[in-house]
Amino acid sequence: MTTFGLWIGIATLFVIGLGFVWVIRGERYFGYLWWPYVMGLGLVCVVCSVFISNDWSSALLGAAGASLIWGSTELKEQAVRAELGWYPFNDRKIDPPFAHVIKKWKAPSF
Amino acid sequence: MTLNVVGISAALATFMGVWLGHVSVRKIEREIVRLWIPSLMAVALGSGFLIASLLTSNLSLATASGILAVTLFWDALEISIRQPRRIRHGYAPANPANPRHARILAESPNATDMDWLDRDPRGRPYTSEELSAIKDSAR
Repeated sequence: MTTFGLWIGIATLFVIGLGFVWVIRGERYFGYLWWPYVMGLGLVCVVCSVFISNDWSSALLGAAGASLIWGSTELKEQAVRAELGWYPFNDRKIDPPFAHVIKKWKAPSF
Repeated sequence: MTLNVVGISAALATFMGVWLGHVSVRKIEREIVRLWIPSLMAVALGSGFLIASLLTSNLSLATASGILAVTLFWDALEISIRQPRRIRHGYAPANPANPRHARILAESPNATDMDWLDRDPRGRPYTSEELSAIKDSAR
């Protein structure tokens, strides 16, 4: 019997739970226009996980990467939630590099 | 150098689990009246993945099925408790054709069949007058 998958599953639940926190905080202080950078960081994590021989580290980095990619698609909706008053709104956000270009792209949302 | 696919397996299971969960929880809660049925099905499916994860000797399969098992257990909670709460607060649109939702619409003042989130960010918060106007125009 191997309990590795179960423990990774429980750990992943916390990684996803952390996603709720960083999406809310990240949108508040930085804004949803950071989404391509977050998505890219997630992809880098997943790719790097392939080169890590320790199974626990590889699995956690892969799960964290996937969670970053998912969270990047949640930022736009979170921005609307803050504007609607469901979450505190901060009007002094730190724009990402090339914000004017990213603004013209359609932010992904599921 | 040998490549380790456990991370890829974890990433795929996490992303697909969250994506399918996100879409199907909203769809199922919207259509179904007796939520204990799909919740129980999610627990049963999750248990199947958990057993598979415990029994397999392949580490990538154990990882993916372990993540899917825990995700499905969480989905049961989302279907039965968390999503109906969003409907009551108006954070997710109610379905008037579903008798359970029709009752929520009648009893909860904030519940609505309008999707508040179906709009793009505009860069500044809405005033309470604007919010009332949006709500009135949806009626």
